[in-house]
Amino acid sequence: MMYKVKVTELAGTLALAVAAGCAEVETVKAPVEIPSRIYTANESSNDVSVIDASTFTSVGNIESKNQSTHDLAISRDGRRVYATNLASGRLSVMDAGTMETIASIYTGQRCHVVALTNDNKQAWVANIGDNTISIVDTDTFRIVGTIPTGKGPTGLTFSHDGKYAYVSTLGDKTVDIIDTSTHQVVKSLSVGANPHFLVVGPKGYIWGTNTGGSDVYVIDPSTQEIAGTLEVGAKPQQIAFGFKGMQGPNVYVTVGGTNKVVVVPADPKNLKVLEEIQVGEGPNGIWANPEGTRIFVGHDKANEVRVIDTSTNQTLATVPVGRKPIRVVVSR
Amino acid sequence: MKTLFILSTSLISAIIGMTSIASAANAPVGWAVNAIGTLTIVRTDGVQEQLQGRKTMPLFEGDVLKTDAGSQAYIQLKQGVNVALNEETTFKILSRWQKDKPTTWILRLSQGEVWAKTAGDGPKLFEIETPVATAAVKETEFNLKVQPDGQSILTVIEGIVQFGTAFGTCPIRTDTISYGVRGKKCTKPAPSDAKAAKAWTQTLVPPTPPVQ
Repeated sequence: MMYKVKVTELAGTLALAVAAGCAEVETVKAPVEIPSRIYTANESSNDVSVIDASTFTSVGNIESKNQSTHDLAISRDGRRVYATNLASGRLSVMDAGTMETIASIYTGQRCHVVALTNDNKQAWVANIGDNTISIVDTDTFRIVGTIPTGKGPTGLTFSHDGKYAYVSTLGDKTVDIIDTSTHQVVKSLSVGANPHFLVVGPKGYIWGTNTGGSDVYVIDPSTQEIAGTLEVGAKPQQIAFGFKGMQGPNVYVTVGGTNKVVVVPADPKNLKVLEEIQVGEGPNGIWANPEGTRIFVGHDKANEVRVIDTSTNQTLATVPVGRKPIRVVVSR
Repeated sequence: MKTLFILSTSLISAIIGMTSIASAANAPVGWAVNAIGTLTIVRTDGVQEQLQGRKTMPLFEGDVLKTDAGSQAYIQLKQGVNVALNEETTFKILSRWQKDKPTTWILRLSQGEVWAKTAGDGPKLFEIETPVATAAVKETEFNLKVQPDGQSILTVIEGIVQFGTAFGTCPIRTDTISYGVRGKKCTKPAPSDAKAAKAWTQTLVPPTPPVQ
């Protein structure tokens, strides 16, 4: 009897030790890998479509828990997706692993675009209706600062060294340059009609589209001046960077007015249209894979993403997504 | 008959469910209970309502509350947070939702001065945002003032406030003061006569018992 009790106690102790051991192992276990995925922000269906980036098949949808899901940013590790929601004025934070929204943060009226700082510790959100940038701490989800901008901030990106943020303003038709160490606008550049999208490209050049016009512009980060502009067609939307075999890097611009993707050398001193790729109805969001051999083009009228091989310009796959996809991002 | 019963039950359940969701969305998040001068409440549809004297007016998420020169007001948020508004103060009532956590209530203070104190049992999830900083509290009493340039002055009367700018967060404790300035971390807490910081609230005697 005594022996039996001892065995039971020993078993209990072992169970505790095993449990404790398991708990310890749990804390150091590496996070589960999330395969490379394509995400689209769907403004009319208030959700994010998720596509496997290797098979080009749908994985599912993530409800934004808000209205008019518009723009996306993805963390470097691919585990968090941040989505602005124009009508709600809120930023949705999504867990890419569980594919669910885990937080909803009010930033400001008509919040339009989101960009992550280079260290991913903050999400900057441009609020068109408030003429501000809200700074969201990506750990606590608190708003830790608000920066006044020109009228109607619509595009947002950071310099390669993170020292400056570039904000396009719809109302003022400018790009405001913000010193990220002081949160002050240090310069304003006049651009064109209805400037929208901004992105940092090869060699740190900042590329932007004048969606109300028909041109793209390039800002030289060393001089903070416009280094060049180029007509690409009516309603240029968004920009990605890739290669055509040996040729490149090239700029790929979605042009909503002509249903084309226009290809331009990523050299502001040599701006010219290299070629035009006919795509579907309403090309808007665009993203390239890290190698620059594929571009993923969202179509806000056709409600689909096309995967295009940049060496042949052939469409490899067409994947249906939610209604009115505006932005496309791809995890590594 | 059985099918009809199941359908009816499902329909009633659905209606009850919808009603409860709608009720939750339309439920007040607190009440304005006193105004010396005038408290203006701007609803999300732009409609304005005004409170004068000791009356009760419900507050909803998205409301903007304003006092002008010569006006002060007192509000109580539902989960047990009392807030006084000094003259020429404006804030918006917001919330943050996080999975598996209670809602955090937020006042976005664009100008002026507020005093806040948590009441009742248990810690609260309550924050005040200014143009340059956020004060996050659980159980505390503090005063927060926003200057025209956005500089934010926090005085903690009792408890601890996590005072953070985009450049870092500092815990500010009882009887200390800290400043939040654009482009900088909040200043190290310095001793302060905290009770003097809330002297302006003395004319806004809180009603008893609190509104439930």
